[in-house]
This record gives sequence, structure tokens and C-alpha cells, in this order.
Amino acid sequence: MHDSAIRHPPSAIGYVTVEVVAWVTRFVGGDGTRRQVFQEPAAPDASVRSVLGQVSDRHPALREALWDAAGRELSEHIEVLVNDSVLGLTHTLDSPVRKGDRITLVGQYTGGA
Amino acid sequence: MDRELPGGYAGRILRVDLTSGKTWSEPWAPDGMRLFVGGAGLGAKILWDEVPAGVAWDHPENRLILATGPLAGLPVWGTGGLSVVTRGAMTNGGTSTQANGFFGACLKYSGYDAIVVQGQASSWLYLYVQDDVAELRDAAFLVGKDTWETQDVLQARLGYSGHQMSVYGIGPAGENLVRFSAIAGDYGHVASKNGCGAVMGKKRLKAVALVRGTRAIRAADPRGLFQAADEIAHDLKTNPTTRSLYEYGTLNGVLNLNKIGALPIKNFTTNVVPEGTDMAAWEAPSLREGFDHRGHQCNACGMRHCHMQVIPTGPHQGQIVDEPEYEGWAGAGWAIGCTDPVAISWLNTQIDRIGVDVNEFGWLVGWAMECQEKGYLTRDQLGGLEVRWGDTEAAAKLLQMIGRREGFGNILAEGVKRASETVGGPAATCAIYTGKGASPRGHDHRARWEEMLDTITSSTGTLQTGPPVHPTEFGMPARINPFDPEAVAKNVGGHLGRRHFEDSLGACIFTTRSLLATMCRALSAATGWEFTKEEALRQGRRTAALFRAFDLRCGIGPDLEWPSPRYGSVPADGPAQGRAVQPHWERMVDVWYETVGYDRKTGRPRPDTLRSLGLEFLIPSLWGA
Repeated sequence: MHDSAIRHPPSAIGYVTVEVVAWVTRFVGGDGTRRQVFQEPAAPDASVRSVLGQVSDRHPALREALWDAAGRELSEHIEVLVNDSVLGLTHTLDSPVRKGDRITLVGQYTGGA
Repeated sequence: MDRELPGGYAGRILRVDLTSGKTWSEPWAPDGMRLFVGGAGLGAKILWDEVPAGVAWDHPENRLILATGPLAGLPVWGTGGLSVVTRGAMTNGGTSTQANGFFGACLKYSGYDAIVVQGQASSWLYLYVQDDVAELRDAAFLVGKDTWETQDVLQARLGYSGHQMSVYGIGPAGENLVRFSAIAGDYGHVASKNGCGAVMGKKRLKAVALVRGTRAIRAADPRGLFQAADEIAHDLKTNPTTRSLYEYGTLNGVLNLNKIGALPIKNFTTNVVPEGTDMAAWEAPSLREGFDHRGHQCNACGMRHCHMQVIPTGPHQGQIVDEPEYEGWAGAGWAIGCTDPVAISWLNTQIDRIGVDVNEFGWLVGWAMECQEKGYLTRDQLGGLEVRWGDTEAAAKLLQMIGRREGFGNILAEGVKRASETVGGPAATCAIYTGKGASPRGHDHRARWEEMLDTITSSTGTLQTGPPVHPTEFGMPARINPFDPEAVAKNVGGHLGRRHFEDSLGACIFTTRSLLATMCRALSAATGWEFTKEEALRQGRRTAALFRAFDLRCGIGPDLEWPSPRYGSVPADGPAQGRAVQPHWERMVDVWYETVGYDRKTGRPRPDTLRSLGLEFLIPSLWGA
């Protein structure tokens, strides 16, 4: 596991965990194995969108894979879970996040054979 | 005649009558090619035309159609594709099941787009094809051999090795009419759905040996074809979704599906990984590097997907096996409570070799393990065998009993639906199946309502739409709430047709996960047509409607579109805990019918739907004159 350095912006209410799993670590500088965990500072008005935007700003490959061409909506490639629930159940992209929430990025479901 | 043919086609169908022992070829007219393309589409049309209602799966006049498509044998990745179409043993209805390897390419190089087998031999035969030579030969020396041994023996006897000859056949399970038996070939490729192996076994056709023929396949626009093939390869290598398939095939499946609660664990009794399981071992690179391995690519394929591997430790150390696909890891492992990759990999190949569907095997053995644990099945019933969760050696013994219909294996050989109905009592409530009798694929669909709906409404003996591929390409949402019944039904219905089109091309379902528009450019360059993605979806929906009409003629309709109690149960734990599909089921089915343009009450494609698909000829049969 790789934990990024924790940064402390003065306005942060706390930290949201962003967990990047297995294959998706390829998009944040990893080798497609294990996990990379980022502790993202969350401002009082932080949302799932803003937290994912922060991580994407640091990792252009993730930005390209995670967002659509306009950079506004999620594309089809990466599954997003918030506190183990697929996005759309307990949280939308614009739902506020709270201290201790965990956002997980996992490879999109492609079926099997 | 060849000058009139679109590029990519051989223009001939090989006919085989096992009753009379005759083989002959007949032309395939170009006007049918654009409508049905090949593979699944061609097979569906032949099935509709030639298998009437009274011809059940085990009737000599049932057809076993081994078809490929216009891309097979051309320099596009993964183009050795085979579609097996028949009236299958599990549902006694339509079947479309695919495998890759080299069969499709060898068939085209011998000058055929398809082989249509009818009749029933009085003794075991195999079909030998080399260009214009098509002979039925005695197969007594192959009886009892598994699918890998069959290929070994035929290659040695006929003097071919490597990719000079493709062999697809049945193992002991198909010979003994195990209802979920498969047709397997080229060491690790399996057309496994809906008991197509039992159909082949009933016909007493042990194998088809296709020598890589000498006929050239013409592309209408060779430069355009190479350009499209390059685009497909580039897309597969760089697209964020397909890039993982390019690198590791379906090995990422276990981790991904576990995260969303769709990994089937211990016959759906839990969705939580057993404590102490090293999930790092289930990461794709670890799974691959955990074995001595080498690439085992299909025809013209550059994917790093298919591999052979060597069992590194344990009682089977040193044996060469086929690297399991995701569904192998699930059916031979997680569904029966095993989390040891080495044990699962070994068992998975034994399943392929004896020749049964790994999904059904997982549901069946998982059911037996749960039932024995709960006292619903006694040790005596299982011939003195104890089958505890995760015991792959006991599972392998059950596999042998099933494949040879020995003891209780004779009941299990009927599949979990029929076996659980035979045992009855509380055991009947533990079985995973659909009302039509089809096996769900190797996922826990209680967390993937899309696939449950797809599997149950399908007319092919397995799911017919599959997970969305590049959904935004044709106006579908990039993602939906997987537990929103309306969104689920619209998504499944909206994607109907894409997979049938892919399965008509003679290519692999993984290499066709490029953009549909790019696949159409390849088809256009091969054939000389201007084939659009809209036409592709129409062709796929035409195929789906033919299978639907066929199933209805077989008496398989909406009254059978339900999940078994366990299949449709509420997950007790894990990411999908508490998500109940049953309260939404009828609404979901309603919306699906509306979306695909079929009549909800009767299940028939509506007349306007049939007209829009160019299937007016079905209207009198389905709706009266």
C-alpha cells in the first residue's frame, strides 16, 4: 500500500480516503497491483466530484480514464463506490462528503467468460 | 459464383447427415449474408427454417450448426471464432454459444462458412474436413477420451500438429448425454452453454477435425481492413476499460466483482470473502505470475489474454492446464468455497476436459456442498463422498461421477434445476437456475440485476446482451444505478443486439469490445458493404427475434421468465446486502418488453418490430395471417 503525504490546508474539515484498487492503480502511477490510498483534504463544501477532481488533477491518466471528454461527467471505464456502495445508491457525484468517507475506484465490470 | 460474393465469405455451407453418412456442400446466397452476417445470425436462421416444434434437442432431426463469420481467418485480432447454434438440452430451446481458437479460420480456409449437422449415427463417428474432402470416419478409438486427449489422438493419427488442425469435440460428459455438457477444442476453448455437447453426443458425433485448408479469403478492401484492424488493436490496447482485457484477459474479474458484491461465494450463501483470504493473490498480475505460463493466442490475436500454465505445487504439480477465465475461477472455485488459485486452476481444466459447462458445474457442486452441510443430502446419497466447501478433490470426484453418470452423478448430470427438483424438500430451495432451465453466468446477479434480467429473458440458453460495451457510443448512459429497476431494464433492452452482432462476425467477444463503429469498418472493408453501427444493431436484434420466435415455437415463453428462489434471493451480507430484486421483478420485465418491442403477454416480437427488422416472414407464424 502506498499512502500519499498528508497535506493540511487550513480550510479542510478533515480527510476523505480515496482507495484506488488493483488495475486502476495503472492510472495513478502504479503497476496494476495492490492498492494506492490517498488521504484527500475535504473542504466544508466538498463533494464526491470535488474530491475525485483533486485526485484527477494530480494524475492526468486518471483524469482521462475517469471523466468524459468535457471533464464534467464520469465516463464508463471506472466503477466508483462510496463507502462500499456503487455511486448512485447512497451518494451521487454531487453529494457532500464527510470526514472519514471512503471513495473506491475499481475496474469497470466487463463480464466474464 | 465467387465474383458475386461479398469479401470475407466462403459462400458454401457443409452439410452432414449422420443417419445416411453423407456429406455435401451447398451455396449460401449473398442476399442472406447481409441480413444474417454469419455465426449466430446465420445459425438462428437455419434453426428457424429447419427445426420444427416437434424436433426436441435429442431428436435426430435437430440441427447442430457450427458457424463462423466474415471476419474469420482475416488479419483481425481473435478471428478464429465459432458459434454453436442448436436446440439445446438445458432449456430444450434455442442455443447460441461461442468459442474461439482456430476453428472458424480453419473452416473458412477449407471453403465453408458453416457446418450443419443433422441425423444420428448408429455408431460413434468423427468428421474430417480438409478443403473439399469431408468424410465421416469411425471414432471407436476416441470413445471415453476427454476433449484434450481427443485432440492429441487425432493430431497424432492424422499427422498434424500445432495450428495445422483444429479439433472441437465432446468428452465423456457429452457421450453420456450430461445435460450441461459442452463442445470444447483447441485446448481450452469451450462452447459450453445450454447442453450443446449433449446434442453432439446424441448424434454420436465425437469430434470435428478441421485441417487448416488452403483456400484464400478475399477482403473487398484489404487496405481498409488493415486500417480497421489496427484501430481495433489500438483501441483494445489503450481504452481504459479494454486495456485490462488486453493485458490480462478476465483475470481482474474476481477483485472487481468482489468489490461490488457480484462475486458468487459458496452458492450465494455469502458475499464476504472468508477471513484470512489473501486477496493480493487474486490480483491479475499475481494470478498470472503465480504459475509458469506462456501465451496461447487464438487466430491472428495479439491480446495477452489466453495462456497455458503449469500447476506449481500440490498433488497435480507439473500438469499443464489452461489459465482459467474469470468464470473458471468462479465456477471451479469461489462458488464452491475454494479460494486457492492452484487448486481451482487444476479443477477448471478437468471440467473442460470431461466437457461440461463450468458455470453449471459451480452451481451444481455448490448446491451439493450446501445441501450436505445442512443435512439435505446424505453422504450415502453421494456414494459415500463427503463434499465440504472448498474441497476441489471431492469436487473432481463428483465431476467424474457426473461425466460418467455413475451413482448420484446420474441425477446431478441433469443439472441443478432438475437435480434439486428430484431431491425435493429444502434442497430444492438452494438451487441457482432460471425458469427456462438455463445456467446463470458465473456472477452473483443479485448485485447485477442487468445480467439476471438478461439471462432470464434471453432465448439463447445464456445471457444474450451481456454487460454494456461502450454504451455511450449509441446514446446509452455511461453508467446507471444497478438497483434502479427501470434504468436496468432500459439498459438491458437498449443494448440488445450488439452481442448477437459480435457473435455473427467469427470473432472473439473480447476483441470485439472495440467501438462498434470500428467493428463495422472492419466488416465493411472485408465485405465491400457500407455497414453502419445502426445496421449492426438491427442485425443483432434480428438474430434475437429469430431466437425468440424459435423459443416460442418450442413452448418457451414469458411464463418461464423468473429466477429460482435462491437465484432471486436477498444477499445476506456484502456490498449488495438487503437489495431485493423480487419486489421489482415484474416491473423490470415489463419495461424490458416495452424497450425491445416485444408483446409482454405472449412474449412475441410485435409485428411493427418484426417489420423494422426485415422479418416480415415471421409475422404469419407468430401472429397469424
